[in-house]
Amino acid sequence: MVANRKNARKLQEWATAYLFVLPDVAGLFVFVFLPILYAFYVSLHRWNAFSPRAFVGFDNYAALVSDAQWWHSLERTFLFSAVYVPLLFALSLASAVMIHALKKRTANLVRTMFLMPFAITSVTSAIIGIFLMDPRNGLINQLFKHAGLPTQQFLGSPSQALYCIVAVLLWINLGYNMVIFLAAIKEIPRDYYEAANLDGASGWQMFRYITFPLLRGTSTFILIVTLIGSFQVMDQIMVMTKGGPVNSTQVSAYYIYKVAFEQMNMGYSSALAFALFSIIFALSLIQLKLLSRE
Amino acid sequence: MKLSKKAIALLVLAALLLLSACGGNQAGSAGQNGGTTSGSSSAGGDAGNGGGQSDGSSEKIRLTFWDFHTEAEQAFFERMVAEYNAIQDRVEIVYSTSNQTDYTTTKLPIAFAGGEGPDIFMISPGDFMKFANAGWMLDLTPYFPEGALEDFLPASIEAVTVDGKILALPFELELLALYYNEDMLRNAGVDVPKTWDELLDAARKLTTDKVAGLILPPEKGPYFNFVWYPFLWQKGGTVLSEDGKTSLFDTPEVAEALDFWGTFFREGLSPTKLQQHPTEIDHIGNGTAAMQIVGTWAINRAEQVFGDVPINVTPIPHPVDGRLATDAGGWKFAVNANSKHADEAAKFVMWVFAEDPQRALEWVTDIKFAYSPRKSVVEAGKEIYEKGMRKVFTEQIYDTAIPEPRYPAQVVDIVGDALQEVMYGRDAAEAAADAHRRLTEVLKELE
Repeated sequence: MVANRKNARKLQEWATAYLFVLPDVAGLFVFVFLPILYAFYVSLHRWNAFSPRAFVGFDNYAALVSDAQWWHSLERTFLFSAVYVPLLFALSLASAVMIHALKKRTANLVRTMFLMPFAITSVTSAIIGIFLMDPRNGLINQLFKHAGLPTQQFLGSPSQALYCIVAVLLWINLGYNMVIFLAAIKEIPRDYYEAANLDGASGWQMFRYITFPLLRGTSTFILIVTLIGSFQVMDQIMVMTKGGPVNSTQVSAYYIYKVAFEQMNMGYSSALAFALFSIIFALSLIQLKLLSRE
Repeated sequence: MKLSKKAIALLVLAALLLLSACGGNQAGSAGQNGGTTSGSSSAGGDAGNGGGQSDGSSEKIRLTFWDFHTEAEQAFFERMVAEYNAIQDRVEIVYSTSNQTDYTTTKLPIAFAGGEGPDIFMISPGDFMKFANAGWMLDLTPYFPEGALEDFLPASIEAVTVDGKILALPFELELLALYYNEDMLRNAGVDVPKTWDELLDAARKLTTDKVAGLILPPEKGPYFNFVWYPFLWQKGGTVLSEDGKTSLFDTPEVAEALDFWGTFFREGLSPTKLQQHPTEIDHIGNGTAAMQIVGTWAINRAEQVFGDVPINVTPIPHPVDGRLATDAGGWKFAVNANSKHADEAAKFVMWVFAEDPQRALEWVTDIKFAYSPRKSVVEAGKEIYEKGMRKVFTEQIYDTAIPEPRYPAQVVDIVGDALQEVMYGRDAAEAAADAHRRLTEVLKELE
């Protein structure tokens, strides 16, 4: 009799848990998983969204292997992520540590200032970026001139444009990641720091041996989410450079958009999208394996 | 009756399910900016259903007319729709607009792909072949009123004809020219340029820290190519053969035209990044540029907003060993071939722009400034076509206009790449050869 009631309650707990998760999973399934499967299906056809689909097997995938523009876009994407992700990680962690050390009122003020850019829509941030970085009249070049530095072409330069986009994204996303780190740092018991202080540890040593190791879970989360996000950057590129100049900011996501909606080549763009998805998926798995420890 | 806990939980879950169905892709982005945007939103009214549906109560046929125009132009079409609805009671037309980018990149293609395209819509030369190949545009040839077809310029009808079928109605010709600030030229001791060398020289003399010598569009896209084509045509070059099946890009004429374009950017005479769209005359109006290649649409704005700035216009300078040429763009009016009431839709389209010249005249002389592809309308508007800067267009530019070509998107992209490469330092002949190779590949695929 008692065992049955125990089982019944366990069953009820289990059922409630899954029922709570069900709505979101249902949404995910309908709006994410099914479209991914459909995209794979479309990638096996030649289709321009109006004529009927023609099955071509893996021709699209064979084509993307020899597509110079695709490989170029991958290179730009990886370069973008290689610069953006570590910088964002380092800067948001550093600012979190810094704010944690401030007094409460100042800390709140600085934290709000850092977080405010996050509230701007991506298109607005792109437009602000365009104005700030204008080669002739932008504020940044004006400051350079006053400081005696040579003015830069920024978005008008094939070698600088990509990093300008990185800069805008750093500006708006820093606050969000910093707040996450801040919350995690606050979880670390003060006793550890006090004990370390008694042992004569320096600030840097405290960071390296206490703060950083204890932030492992949060770091993993931030790195994975930032990496995935960095592969999806579209808005700023569409508004600021349209993939230029000379395709220097034509990352894979933008190339896929171009093939799909400018050239109406749905089959090929689905293959490209699926390839990109596989790459991101693999990278995230690797990251997760390397960084997590139960 | 008291609801049990279970019932409440079920209700909440049902509500959450409904909400998540509307919420869509929440899980992936984790709140990071820089994630993909959700779908486009239409600016004006509601997207009507495709095809005219006659509802049970009245006999009226409903037609949907989707547009992208704004302000005065939008008001014009709203008035046309209202007038047409009032003067007859066979059909009722429902008009709606979206912003231009959404219209061309997502709204129209997706609607047509889903079989839900509007009955009446606008088509640009850039998208023309895409829609023509898909069979989305109705053959309008039988709907031209008596004698109307002969009124149109042959070139403008050719530009919308595929396999002998006239697939859209042209109603405006927007020509490009070189606009300039008279004062700036005079102060720098520069004559109005007539040749390529003079243009380059003038740009060099006029460029200062604060003022750009010549404004050209720096970013890839249909407008980018549109402004370059005159330079190519002046040299006698072209991108593709007449039948559009072969690339003719690997010629010295192409290389020279590419190089000329690139020089302005390489020498810093044309900015590589603009704060305002290159189609806006504001660059000259605000005093940040001395010269700009832009179209007939700029005249109204120049007169109304920048009346105190001495802006004038001249034909696009030509190479000494070449001829005058300019580009004629402009949207076309089209009917959905799969519309259930294509007949009625075609009748409306013809009524607006192929019948009474007054409506067509109002569009090209009052609402905006452009040329009409109809000779009778140009005749009727003679006075206006002689006013101010329009006179230069009418007397010196109109006859040299070549209609904007209707290339597939891949061709536009490849030509754009060649232009950008040369702008940033690549050798023009190399860039042309490379583009030629890519064009040949793409054209083979498109067969």
